Amino acid sequence: MVIEHDILTFFEWLLPGAGGMGALLTFFLAVALLSVFLTLLAYLFTSVRHGPFEAFYVVAKSIATGVSDVANTSPRRVLALARLAVTEAVRRKVLIAFVVFLLILLFAGWFLDVRSDHPGRLYISFVLTATNYLVLLLALFLAAFSLPNDIKNRTIYTVVTKPVRGTEIILGRVLGFATVGTALLAMMCLVSYLFVVRGLDHGHAAIAETVEEMTDRNSQPIGVRGETTLNSHHRHTFEVDADGYGRTDAQMGHWHEVLAVAGPDGATQYEVGPPQGQLLARVPIYSRGPQPLRFRDRSGQPAEKGISVGDFWTYRDYIEGGSQARAVWTFQDITAEQFPAGLPVEMTLGIFRTHKGDIEQIVRGELEVVNPETEVRSEPISFRPTEFEIFHLDVPRDIRVVDPATQVSRDGDLFEDLVAEDGSTEIWVRCADPGQYYGMSRADLYLLAAERPFFLNFVKGYVSIWLQMVVVICFGVMFSAFLSGAVAMMATLATIVMGFFSGFIVGVFRGVLDPNAPVTEKVLGGGPIESFYRLITQKNVSLELDPSIGAVVIQTIDKGLVILMRTVVMIIPDFGRLGTANYVAYGFNIDGDLLAQHGAVALAYAVTVSLASYFFFKSREIAA
Amino acid sequence: MAAPTVEQAAQPAEKTAAQADVVIETRNLSKTYRDFWGRQKVRALKALDLEVRRGEIFGLLGPNGSGKTTTIKLLLGLLFPSSGQAYVFGEEAASVKKNEKIGYLPEESYLYKFLNAEETLDFYGRLFDMPAKVRKERAESLINMVGLQWARRRQLREYSKGMTRRIGLAQALINDPNLLLLDEPTSGLDPIGTREMKDLILRLRDEGKTILVCSHLLPDVQDVCDRIAILHQGELKELGRVSDLLRVEDVTQIRARGLSDEVKEEIRNLIQQHGGVVEGIENPTATLEQLFLEIVKDSEARPGRRAPAPAEK
Ligand SMILES: Nc1ncnc2c1ncn2[C@@H]1O[C@H](COP(=O)(O)OP(=O)(O)O)[C@@H](O)[C@H]1O
Ligand SMILES: [Mg+2]
Repeated sequence: MVIEHDILTFFEWLLPGAGGMGALLTFFLAVALLSVFLTLLAYLFTSVRHGPFEAFYVVAKSIATGVSDVANTSPRRVLALARLAVTEAVRRKVLIAFVVFLLILLFAGWFLDVRSDHPGRLYISFVLTATNYLVLLLALFLAAFSLPNDIKNRTIYTVVTKPVRGTEIILGRVLGFATVGTALLAMMCLVSYLFVVRGLDHGHAAIAETVEEMTDRNSQPIGVRGETTLNSHHRHTFEVDADGYGRTDAQMGHWHEVLAVAGPDGATQYEVGPPQGQLLARVPIYSRGPQPLRFRDRSGQPAEKGISVGDFWTYRDYIEGGSQARAVWTFQDITAEQFPAGLPVEMTLGIFRTHKGDIEQIVRGELEVVNPETEVRSEPISFRPTEFEIFHLDVPRDIRVVDPATQVSRDGDLFEDLVAEDGSTEIWVRCADPGQYYGMSRADLYLLAAERPFFLNFVKGYVSIWLQMVVVICFGVMFSAFLSGAVAMMATLATIVMGFFSGFIVGVFRGVLDPNAPVTEKVLGGGPIESFYRLITQKNVSLELDPSIGAVVIQTIDKGLVILMRTVVMIIPDFGRLGTANYVAYGFNIDGDLLAQHGAVALAYAVTVSLASYFFFKSREIAA
Repeated sequence: MAAPTVEQAAQPAEKTAAQADVVIETRNLSKTYRDFWGRQKVRALKALDLEVRRGEIFGLLGPNGSGKTTTIKLLLGLLFPSSGQAYVFGEEAASVKKNEKIGYLPEESYLYKFLNAEETLDFYGRLFDMPAKVRKERAESLINMVGLQWARRRQLREYSKGMTRRIGLAQALINDPNLLLLDEPTSGLDPIGTREMKDLILRLRDEGKTILVCSHLLPDVQDVCDRIAILHQGELKELGRVSDLLRVEDVTQIRARGLSDEVKEEIRNLIQQHGGVVEGIENPTATLEQLFLEIVKDSEARPGRRAPAPAEK
């Protein structure tokens, strides 16, 4: 899984400090700028109708009314309107959405292929994605059509002629639809959890004929090894030690426990337990500091980057096997209190093979723990990774270390010898097989701080969806406050889509307007019109257009369009970033701080967008 | 144009008694409907000046499309005036606060079809921030008053036009308003309903409420209104007390029972002797409304039997 951003703690993120001016200040600045802009716009519009002097009075008065309306908002009226929205949704049969969801799961159960390399990830991302889209769609429909329907049916006449404030009408709607969505999401969460757990559950039996004794160098028996039956498209091999305890190898992202038990006829039998290791919520500690991941080249000299093996889009750097090349991760604030038993290291490596040969052959690697101050290093620990699979390696507390001056190895302690006074330590990885390469990125190696209950993490994934839903509801209500139902729906949909593709749009913007941007950070092929032109003329994106009047016109319009889109993207929420489905699917705990930040972002949007909705609604002539 | 409000706010103490009694006031109130592009479509109301005083029943009359509903919507802030001002209880029409004391019965009952009668009244009660107990009592007595006890649990989508009208009226009365705006209150009601509605309007007036009724059904208005204004094509054509407007000064009406043809002839001669002009001496016909009400009363007294027409008696 790619970690794009460091997770700051909530207050680091919120308040001004090292990380910039902080989210809170950014928010207030953005809101201030936007309000000034919108007020000016409102003033201009009013001037056209009432003339410049009266317009000033009108705008000032509507702001004053706004303040008093916010202050006088009555919870009872908000709740009454929310109840109405819920009743409306229920009587308009939104529960059908839940039935649709059940049907989707039913079909998915058939064609979600467990032959995949990672059925766990597949199942989890499927249910989360399906829920996400379904719930956002539902929120979109509920929110975008409700107010316009009320206006069209004129039922709003009997509401606004009561002492009801615009704030209450907006808030009541948002609250009502959020309630409906919450209830639906809760049901979906439970159902999909069961779906994932049941869908991934399977058993194996040990095949008695394959079981054979294992012996050590002195021909002493040390246990048995064997194979399991083929179930759910895969089989495992397993090893059981002399004490009768063992486990299978990892296949399709999971393993099973294997126990030796006495059978009815006195012979030993092997019992294979339920699948494990595919529903996890690991808490990783990533490398940090000015250079969280750095490299040494083949002669051992510091290098800016590793080698690129030609794959254009890869985010991994490669190091050459059998040389001095190394990748070095720096960790900070490592304490014995946190890791009393030693360092649990987990890593995922990309492997690039230069010679043909046994593709299945394991490419060996070595790992050292190094004290960045004293340069005392541990003796190399060798490991045999499975490619693109997370594997686990425990660096023990009692460890042989090598002093840099004497090059003599001695018994040492992990925290005393290999962790610096300031709590920092380094992990060096090299590839041992010449002619092979390891590919790695910063997030590929981390310390496993803890494992949390999977169900909780799954719920957190749903909380992320919930936050997105609330934001969508607010946007839907805002657009429906001044547009007709269908148009409001399209506008909300456009907001969602642009929000999900904001990264792409920023890329297009750079591609069109910033020729010096690095290739990896921009999208080639021009703006919307140019790329459409390229599409129909089948022109390659890396070729320049022929210089002609037409091309200039296209590119000029495109420039305007991408600037507009870039501006819009700056205002609307980055839905892609609010999503946390990948964390759940890849088995990483969703950080509480991250979720709190997302919550704060969603709240900020909910408040500002609702306020905007209020002013739109208030300035609307309802009976016109 | 904002001067009047400023004046009023500046000198609240100097309000005269007459001013305090003005419940609705419009000044130069005009409305032009425009389309999406701002082009003028209809000039629905032209410079209306109107005062409605406390405790009266004021009738707004006029043919279809004369601007009655537009006036009411302007008074409620549902529409923004193109020019001029509208004040209700001395506050601008756009203010929310005035709604505390207003009841509004729209032209058609724009209520939530998926609610039943009880839920409807409960919902509107909540909008007045009424506590649960008060809401329940109010809803109970209003449902009884408009005669919908038997249909209280049915969704409004199943209601007939008349029933919808009744629940609409109950909704307008939920807050015991001081001012009622009734847009075509008798439309869709049968003659009994109409009679009841008219009686109710009079009763509410006697309770001290101010009522603005707009209608194109003249008999309705004639029966109940104290004062009327007649609108035509958005312009105010006539304004005054109903009794004054309708009194025909130089005509005398005589009604008598048991006169023979000779006596009638004698009276005719007498009038001519004194220089008067006889416009007609004839037997009055009952109105169809009276006939209908009698039949229904009779039928309720003796259910099941076909009521004989009065002529057969
Ligand atoms: N929303 C509207 N848009 C455009 N014209 C309207 C609208 N509402 C009413 N009108 C026009 O304004 C005039 C007055 O309408 P209205 O006040 O409803 O009349 P009344 O209630 O007296 O029958 C009519 O000509 C009508 O067509
Ligand atoms: Mg009308």
